[in-house]
Amino acid sequence: MRTFRHADERRPPAARRASDVAITRFDHVYEVDPRLMEEHVAQQAIPNWDTLRIADGRHDHLDWMHRHWCETVVSGEQLLAEVEADG
Amino acid sequence: MSTLAPASAALGDELLAELAQVVGDEQLLISKPARLHRARVPAPFPVHRWARHAPDAVVLPGSTEEVAAVVALANRFGVPVVPRCGGTGLTDGAVPLRGGILLDVKRLDWIGEVDVDNRAVTVGAGVNMLKLNEVLAAHGLIYPDDPASYPCSQIGGRIGTSGWSLVGSRYGHTRDLVLSFVHVLPTGRVIEVGDGGGRKLSKSSSGYQLKHLLMGHQGTLGVATEATLKLYPKPEAELSPFWAYEDYDSAYQAVRRLAHADVATFAGAVLFDEQKVAYLRRDDEAYIPQPENVRALTCAVLYGNEDEVRAGGRRLFRIARDAGARYLGDEISEGDWAARHDRYATPLHGRTKAGQVVPMSWHCEDAAVNWTQLPAVRDAWHGIVAELRRRSDVFDDWGMFAYTSTRTGLDYLTEIDVGIWEQELSDETWAMWVEAKRRIAEVAVAHGGSISTCHGSCREGEVDVVPSELGGAFDVMREIKRTLDPRNVMNPGKYLLDEAYEEGAA
Repeated sequence: MRTFRHADERRPPAARRASDVAITRFDHVYEVDPRLMEEHVAQQAIPNWDTLRIADGRHDHLDWMHRHWCETVVSGEQLLAEVEADG
Repeated sequence: MSTLAPASAALGDELLAELAQVVGDEQLLISKPARLHRARVPAPFPVHRWARHAPDAVVLPGSTEEVAAVVALANRFGVPVVPRCGGTGLTDGAVPLRGGILLDVKRLDWIGEVDVDNRAVTVGAGVNMLKLNEVLAAHGLIYPDDPASYPCSQIGGRIGTSGWSLVGSRYGHTRDLVLSFVHVLPTGRVIEVGDGGGRKLSKSSSGYQLKHLLMGHQGTLGVATEATLKLYPKPEAELSPFWAYEDYDSAYQAVRRLAHADVATFAGAVLFDEQKVAYLRRDDEAYIPQPENVRALTCAVLYGNEDEVRAGGRRLFRIARDAGARYLGDEISEGDWAARHDRYATPLHGRTKAGQVVPMSWHCEDAAVNWTQLPAVRDAWHGIVAELRRRSDVFDDWGMFAYTSTRTGLDYLTEIDVGIWEQELSDETWAMWVEAKRRIAEVAVAHGGSISTCHGSCREGEVDVVPSELGGAFDVMREIKRTLDPRNVMNPGKYLLDEAYEEGAA
């Protein structure tokens, strides 16, 4: 369960560099390097809960799309393990 | 932006009154927002000339009879009429070039009989595939027409553009999945076309094949108002592995082997080139953390019974392993494939040459290209877009995909994605873009391909190449247009078909 403290939500975790053009503050959530958003498009200040809500919403949507198209998603990792076991 | 003339000035009060009589006052829209909102599609658009493409009035008919009456009125008054469904097409079929009446079919959104025994359903042209499949799921069925605009495009538009489907290598494309439809000809006459006279037949040898003639015309030969569709059982299982390679050539060879494997549940394979992977590394959470040696990708997609998907999947994993591929894992594979059903929801931005983020719209030039020609087309297309980018920051190369169109691996929907900074477009940069489109189309034709697999080919630039692609068939196309649309009211100005009405035209 996530806790909510207003002041904390306005203080994002420290950025870690993910690549030459991207940073990350939450696991599996990436942002464009703020230095690249200075001239034409300004970055918005988004509270932490909203960042995570957007990321979670995206995953919910993708999960829904799988259920919409089929009953079961077959794991490629499992098939790869079977193929490697066969030699 | 130039000013927008009032509807009454452009069409006259008499026609407006008669249109209101046909569809009702509430379904005749003449406000500026209603008209400007239906002036464009998601493809790059000369926003500095927006008003030039606005219709003079919008009607939303509620039945085939109302559609036919509107088209008959357009004929009587000699006014253009432009059909529009979801407005998601990428070759401007739904964009008015001469004003007139915009015929929006969204109210034809009914779902009729679900024939479970014969696996067919009849629907209105304004039905969206995602919403239809929510209803069909209750019967264990699916209508597997799957464009990148799946959540927002509609059946009528798929017919008018003869759409291509992501899973067409397994289930066929729109032309294969639409069994028959009710069609309002440009004069207002209503006919039914399909295979022979039956509504639910997949093969007949009786009479001409008018169904194919009246698909993919981009609204120049009339309006489909209802359709009967072929259904499949909703798949038990899906598999969508993504594999990484160190270079384009390895991925290019691998995609051929995957497509040639003749796996019965194979629904498609995709090849991502090095520029596409570089683009994904900027902004896509799946690819930002990938190691540097991930430079090209393939994916394969399988749908069907679970035991068959598993057996086919094992075969494809062996092929990929032997081709030197590295599996990217379930999370990336499943997430990336699910996102491909819904590309229109993706917020887009590109980069200036200095690396700064700018808002851009997405445009993909698509062509039908044989596997053997893919590398040559790729080199030529990237060269054309690189030249654009050298000249202006309005353009950004977002890389290339190639998707199988059929399970034999014969030809591929080949697309180059170009970001365009629409707000900065001017007459000069728009002219650069149109010239680039012309050259991109010429490359496809010069390599034995077709200008478009999916979108159509009637936008500025590419349309100039259509006569050389089609040869003598283009002359017949003009004759058909003049015969079926004697007053040239149905979406005039598209596909160079005005030439059919010039004095001395064959």
